[in-house]
Amino acid sequence: MTNFIQPYADYAGEWLPVLLEAMGTTALLSVSAFALSLVFGLLLALCRNTRWRALRRCVALYVAAVRGVPLLAILFLLYFGLPGIGVTFDAFTAAVIGLALAFAAQVAELLRAGLMAIPAGQREAAFAVGFTPYQSFTLIVLPQVVRISVAPLIVTFVSLLKDSSLASLITVDELVLTGRAMATEYFLPLHIYLAVGVCYFLIAWPFSLLSKRLAPPAAR
Amino acid sequence: MSGLSTFTMILEGLLAGAGVTVAVTLASLLLSVSLGFLLAIVRQFGKRRMLHALIDAYCEIMRNIPALTHLFILYFGLASIGFRLSSISAAILGLGLIGGAITCDLFRAGFAALPKGQAEAALAVGFTPYRTIVDILTPQAMRIALPSLGNYAVQLLKDTSIVSAIAAPEIMFYARSMVTSSFQTTLIYSTVAILYLALALPLMRRSACSKPGTRG
Repeated sequence: MTNFIQPYADYAGEWLPVLLEAMGTTALLSVSAFALSLVFGLLLALCRNTRWRALRRCVALYVAAVRGVPLLAILFLLYFGLPGIGVTFDAFTAAVIGLALAFAAQVAELLRAGLMAIPAGQREAAFAVGFTPYQSFTLIVLPQVVRISVAPLIVTFVSLLKDSSLASLITVDELVLTGRAMATEYFLPLHIYLAVGVCYFLIAWPFSLLSKRLAPPAAR
Repeated sequence: MSGLSTFTMILEGLLAGAGVTVAVTLASLLLSVSLGFLLAIVRQFGKRRMLHALIDAYCEIMRNIPALTHLFILYFGLASIGFRLSSISAAILGLGLIGGAITCDLFRAGFAALPKGQAEAALAVGFTPYRTIVDILTPQAMRIALPSLGNYAVQLLKDTSIVSAIAAPEIMFYARSMVTSSFQTTLIYSTVAILYLALALPLMRRSACSKPGTRG
């Protein structure tokens, strides 16, 4: 056992800064992708609830398509595939867009469930006392939707954070790719991948705990 | 004409990996459902606090670390200390162990949703605790957990694409090797997306049907 721990003691000084920097990249990647997917997901959720049937159908189709296609295929298509038809992204941008596109579908479903949970009377009452549709949405409906959806949204963020590891396969130097590079350099793959796992756990666990605290008592 | 024939050629190439994709999905689904069910039973009905804490810790570790990292630990990490797994068994083991934690939660939610009276009534009419769990509670909990298990199966099918990173010869692996030899990148990865969608569609139908309010 002491033999196993020894490399950590020996290399802590070299590994820590590298891993911390990679953790930063992972965090930046996840946060930007999540922000984008929130915006996109809200748009999709609103489109899903409109009067126009064609728009509703299109969004439903998008959500179903994204649910059935692996994230890795989306990332490869964006990063390796699109240059073939003349659109080029750098790896980080491609990863942000790919993650956002994939998770927007999940966010949209969550928000839609939240929107449907608000009784119609809320909007009607808002209209009756003279709120404009925009005001009734932003001041009355949205805050309640946020309260309902915040716990599942945090769970979604944790899965996005984990799936950001796939960006390593399109050469974004986040935690996993950094781990791979270190594994070949130091030839201690088990130690390094365990350390990488701990890094992810340290970012993800607080959010998991938070989502449990915020969940309504019935769902606990 | 040539466009269509390239497409068929690509599809044929990818179908070579579809078998492994389906096999890995089914095997890890089996492993994760059995493990998850076992963990859920122990966590829900067991009396030992120590075991509860262990199971909770296991679930947290599995859920807060990416599958890719788990796979690298199992495949590259264990190999370095002389415990060599084939890429397919590492894939099944990795996805199955992670799935155990996920399905454990799904089953627990199923058991938790049952009214307390069910167990009390069964015990009152003389069922043993074991038979209460097996004959009364499990069938009902299964029905509640089934839609989310369907969602999980779709997720798992998609997640098998990442085992290409440890060189398991499934769809994505063939796609990547075809890309390096033919450079039809856009076409190949679009075909991959369509193929996964086609594989996932039957499962998605099922899980959407059994969950009210998700259609339309």
